[in-house]
Amino acid sequence: MKLLTYSLTLLLPGTCLLAATGPDFNSEVRPILANHCFQCHGPDANARKAKLRIDHREDATRDLGGYRAISPGKPTESEIISRILSDDPEEVMPPPKTKKHLTAGQKEILRKWIASGADYQEHWAFVAPVKTGVPGATDDPGVSNDIDRFVIARLKRENIEPAAEASRTTLIRRVSFSLTGLPPTLKEIDQFLADKSKDAYNNMVTRYLDSPAYGEHMARYWLDLARYADSNGYQYDTERQQWVWRDWVIDAYNKNKPFDEFTIEQLAGDLIPQASEQQRLATGFNRNHGITIEGGIIDEEYRTEYVMDRVVTTSQVWMALTMGCARCHDHKFDAISQKEFYQVFHFFNQVPERGANGFAPKQRLSSPLAAAGKAELEKELVGLRQKLENPQDLNALIQKWAAQVALQSQGGWEILSPETMKSSGGSTLRKLPDNSILAGGANPGKDIYEITARTATGKLTAVRLEAMTDKALPGGGPGRHSNSNFVLSEFELIATSLKNRTQSRVVKFAQAKADYSQAGYEVTRAIDGTVDHPNGWAVDGPTRKKPATAMFIAASPFGYDGGTLLRFRLRHEGNFGAHGVGRPRLSVTTGPADTLQLQGIPVDIRGIAALTVQKRTKSQSDRLKEYFLAHHNPNRALKERIANIEKQQTASFPETMIMQEMAKPRTTHVLHRGQYNEPGEKVSAGIPAIFPEMGEKHANRLGFAQWLTDPAHPLTARVAVNRYWQQLFGIGLVKTAEDFGIQGELPSHPGLLDWLSLEFIRSGWDTKHMYRLILNSATFRQTSSVGAAAYRNDPENRLLGRGPRMRLDAEEIRDACLASSGLLVKQLGGKSVYPYQPKGLWMELNNRPGYSKAYQQGKGNDLYRRSLYTFWKRSVPSPMLKTFDAPEREFCTTRRSRTNTPLQALALLNGPQFVEAARHLAQRMLIEGGQTVNERISYGFRLVSARVPRQPELALLRASYTENLQHYQSNKGAAIKLMQVGASPYNAALDISKLAAMTSVARLLFNLNESITKG
Amino acid sequence: MKPSRATSTPDALLRRSFLKKSGLGIGATALNSLLRAEAPATANQPALPPRCKRVIVLCMAGGPSHLETFDYKPKLAELHGQPMPKSVTENQQIAQLQGEADKLKVLGPQHAFSRHGKSGQQISSVFPHIASKIADDICIIRSMQTEQINHDPAHTFMNTGSIISGRPAMGSWVNYGLGSECSNLPGFVVLTSVGGGQSQPIAARQWHSGFLPGQFQGVRMRSKGDPVLYINSPDGITPKRQHDVIKTVQKLNEIGNQTLADPELETRINQYEMAFRMQMSVPGLVDFSDEPEHILNLYGTKGADGTFAANCLLARRLAERGVRFVQLYHRGWDHHGNIKQGIGHTAKLVDQASAALVLDLKQRGLLEDTLIVWGGEFGRTPMAQGSGRDHHIKAFSIWMAGGGIRPGFTFGATDDLGYHAVEDVVDVHDFHATMLQLLGINHEGFTYRYQGRDFRLTDVHGRIIEEIIA
Repeated sequence: MKLLTYSLTLLLPGTCLLAATGPDFNSEVRPILANHCFQCHGPDANARKAKLRIDHREDATRDLGGYRAISPGKPTESEIISRILSDDPEEVMPPPKTKKHLTAGQKEILRKWIASGADYQEHWAFVAPVKTGVPGATDDPGVSNDIDRFVIARLKRENIEPAAEASRTTLIRRVSFSLTGLPPTLKEIDQFLADKSKDAYNNMVTRYLDSPAYGEHMARYWLDLARYADSNGYQYDTERQQWVWRDWVIDAYNKNKPFDEFTIEQLAGDLIPQASEQQRLATGFNRNHGITIEGGIIDEEYRTEYVMDRVVTTSQVWMALTMGCARCHDHKFDAISQKEFYQVFHFFNQVPERGANGFAPKQRLSSPLAAAGKAELEKELVGLRQKLENPQDLNALIQKWAAQVALQSQGGWEILSPETMKSSGGSTLRKLPDNSILAGGANPGKDIYEITARTATGKLTAVRLEAMTDKALPGGGPGRHSNSNFVLSEFELIATSLKNRTQSRVVKFAQAKADYSQAGYEVTRAIDGTVDHPNGWAVDGPTRKKPATAMFIAASPFGYDGGTLLRFRLRHEGNFGAHGVGRPRLSVTTGPADTLQLQGIPVDIRGIAALTVQKRTKSQSDRLKEYFLAHHNPNRALKERIANIEKQQTASFPETMIMQEMAKPRTTHVLHRGQYNEPGEKVSAGIPAIFPEMGEKHANRLGFAQWLTDPAHPLTARVAVNRYWQQLFGIGLVKTAEDFGIQGELPSHPGLLDWLSLEFIRSGWDTKHMYRLILNSATFRQTSSVGAAAYRNDPENRLLGRGPRMRLDAEEIRDACLASSGLLVKQLGGKSVYPYQPKGLWMELNNRPGYSKAYQQGKGNDLYRRSLYTFWKRSVPSPMLKTFDAPEREFCTTRRSRTNTPLQALALLNGPQFVEAARHLAQRMLIEGGQTVNERISYGFRLVSARVPRQPELALLRASYTENLQHYQSNKGAAIKLMQVGASPYNAALDISKLAAMTSVARLLFNLNESITKG
Repeated sequence: MKPSRATSTPDALLRRSFLKKSGLGIGATALNSLLRAEAPATANQPALPPRCKRVIVLCMAGGPSHLETFDYKPKLAELHGQPMPKSVTENQQIAQLQGEADKLKVLGPQHAFSRHGKSGQQISSVFPHIASKIADDICIIRSMQTEQINHDPAHTFMNTGSIISGRPAMGSWVNYGLGSECSNLPGFVVLTSVGGGQSQPIAARQWHSGFLPGQFQGVRMRSKGDPVLYINSPDGITPKRQHDVIKTVQKLNEIGNQTLADPELETRINQYEMAFRMQMSVPGLVDFSDEPEHILNLYGTKGADGTFAANCLLARRLAERGVRFVQLYHRGWDHHGNIKQGIGHTAKLVDQASAALVLDLKQRGLLEDTLIVWGGEFGRTPMAQGSGRDHHIKAFSIWMAGGGIRPGFTFGATDDLGYHAVEDVVDVHDFHATMLQLLGINHEGFTYRYQGRDFRLTDVHGRIIEEIIA
């Protein structure tokens, strides 16, 4: 029975162990009453049976007409005792159908408690902490700061010795992960190991507290609480842009914004007098809930849900209260009535928002992490706008340009209107209004288009072929192949006199130019007199998908006075098949060959330009001006630059959803059963009666936030420091970090929790100070290598008799592999990114046309950013993160579970991110690790675990390397395949067998329990 | 094989809490051993005699019309085209027909019904296979009701018994309660079929474990790409190399643990072994080449191509291997318009394979301890929405088979127009309570404490529908 006894005593606060007066109400009696009785005899007035409540002494001891439920000092005269002891199924309490049986031990506790006077105590968490003495001696050798005095005093009662201090490599790795979520670099390790000064540890802590990675790591925990995501949730789960708010959180942690300001700005930054842009941005916190865009919903129903979410989230994050329980009825356990719930609801019910598509209010606000860049852009924009506003003499500019045009020799392109169009392969050729020819229908392997057209002009110098794009073509064209490309193997022309058909010649082209040619498929190949493979003009259709224009310049002028019939042949006979030009358009010109441009000035414009200003008609002037503005607008470059900057600004700072207050307040009602459409009594803003009053504070969100951070508030500081403790030790002093109410667990070290929370307030809500304090304690610095018995006796380390040890969180695991492999891209803040994810995941679950989109895997740096920047889609979360217990972020999460599953092994063994990282780690091992295999393996081992491998470990790793080397030396193909996992190229300068073998060793390292454990 | 459920320390602690709550006395010694090693399968045997061991849910997502499938309403045909009686629709929640309350018209059944099997169950002509082959095996419930009128919350309610996010899916509950019987596959597998013509998004939260530990979450098996995420070794890694990695990792872990004695490590070693077993077994699971032609023909599938038919066959293979809970989503039942063709089309995609699954399990002797559930998240209005029907929560039909369910039986009834379930109404909690009962779990005693409250799949509701239990 040792274990059971043990876990029971664990829950008892120190003082009551010595209490001879009777069982302790808070730790022993209330849990029994709450679990077995309060459902019907507790705070919920509507559920109350027999009008009896026993959560208040006054009510419980009331005279019920000759008898009392509880008669202090007289268990035999107390109705509840006779009822719990009764054998009669009609009489016995709790009623059998509730299946809430009391054990004999529990009955005895209740009896003893009544016998000792039935003293009630207020629930510990609702009474503000008061300063008391710190137990134990200051000169105990195990004491580093006051935290240890609380811990040691507790351990002494259990006759447990604290564990020794962990090794320095363990400590730096533990601290590095605790503060930055990343492993220590070798430089950091060496610096710490070499620092023999008394302050070495504290200096090391300081370095990590000062690192920008600190803000990223702390923000990551906050995002769970804030249910931050990059998608809107609900059915369609479309994208949202709320990452500027995330930048705010990172920045706030890095600047060590005091927690009271951090609180007030996020809850009510918009209501602070003369609120700054950044304070308004902070309020994005309470807009992170899901928002629906589904048709057929009722607006008010969902708007109500959003407000509910704010109340539930806010009360859980700052007060660790399950306020949501009072939505439909009075809270069953904690003294929060349904009416009080709606009084708090009123604070958050004043946002001018709606239920469907409820994204407003939102505002374009700049990221604090990008403020410098933003200022530069703004400055340039001002300059450009000034230039644009300076009026230019447009007429003078036009005349200057027209004079130049008039001086140029005649030319310009005459677009030909095709007369006949034939396809040798059976394609259909159709003339479009702009005189281009759209090819369609059959798509033969080889095809010759024969096109005829007439021109009145003689003395032609060149032909232009435009290969235009069209929606009807595969991928939009310009080619007919499914990859959008074409290959024009030969371009031919025969010119015939219209006056005298016997006059005819094959036009010989001397030059060909194009605005784009695919490498190896230059346009000149279309006039080289051969159709051999590979030969012809092509334009990178698969990747480019843009129009292309070619011009073919005749060796000598051609054409006939009295008109010319032109017979073109576009031959597609290279060995490609189905690679026709999709939409050709033909033009001719008389301009001298050396002045020809692919895009010439139209003939009519030339004509107008040649006239003097006085001779131009109004319509001619207008036409000239229109053409000039369309093609030579002097402001265009300016405007383009401005548009670019504006686009850049939009892209860098999307509109962020923020809080606002309605000009005219919305009325709030108690909602019967929590239903939006069943309003009851009208209520005003207020806070539950169990808490200190708001006093003079405004009855709005700002007042509420100030009330939360009032030093007299019993919960805010305790809840915050408990979460810090949970982050560092894996479990809070109050294990139920999300519930400090009556049903939550009691603190393992109540005195320590209160001392820490008072210290937090005293320090001015200095978060970094609190982390430093805890990290500097001997308690935190204990080793976790303590033998099996300690783990058996205290599996969760609630007594703190050893150092913390826990599996790393999902993000830390991925980030650690990226960091030790050297792949990690340390860019602070910004948009969310799309790292590797198995193909198809999004569309398999969510492929609603018009709403859904496929996962667009990122490129380059985006694949190697810290995981806190990974795009978070609520309905299909990142599979790697989810496998390692990341939440969906549908709602506020205070504690993640920490499971151990085969799917985790599969992700680490086989996920491309980890295989690629292993290759990069291997490259580092081979290049930086030294000369011998052992040195190289040790180097990698240190990068991952911070320590040097022991001999047997090295031997195993070495053996694995040797075996793999042999394998890959005789299987180069397999080695190449392994090297090609991931988007980054492998280092071809290294021996590929060695690299593959070392990659296998690196995979081993990443999969070690130690690598994914903070110990 | 031993259950893989209670292996890690935090899990063991949770398990302890369940064991305590479920009233199973357990001594400190046994408890002690639970904390360290795998628990014997008997430690968590349900308090009731179980009627079935596993569940396969064929989730017909989108809301199949009961009026064209299992709920025959001649009166509806009579009133076709006439205004919907106000007395029926007044004050009732409506989805997309909001604002048309004055123009509601009756839409008669779009497909004919007839009686089938010895039991004479009324089944519509859209299901020729179900009607002719398994009418006497299934129990049709015509009196289902739900509370949620939009797809996503209705699925959430059906799956978790609550519309509040963060509650565990029923598959997670069942695995938490009973553990897995399978050493190389997850205990809760989700399949989503391709095809169906419609595309109501479905969120992964429908099979999440909520506040239960993550190992109880549903694992989706896919028909394209890796059947289980990351199940395939990287390119260039042979099975032998992969196995060597796992073996060496374990040896290194053991060396590391000599000074540490962290119990979590033992679990991790076991999980790496299971990962490797999964790698070895999943390819065989999804490879149907060992299925004879007549079985493929029975389901109407050519192979594992992600269709509903292929997934039904896969569901049988999962059931054979001891997977506790399989949930198969088929989307395509959201017939707001053109319901006549639409429902015919969707029914054709699921009819043959649904019947085949029942028949195949039956001929293998697996039907008696496998519960099959066929149904959607809600029904559809007797009123027309153009040529279709809108979402409807006051009545819908599902069927169940096997696993202790009374075969060839119709339970419950709706009013003449199929608007309200009026006789033997079954709500979602009742369905959950009955399912747990069949699995041998008393739904009222099956709780998990989270945020200070003892949560149940059935919340504070749930009636066991004794009438449909054989």
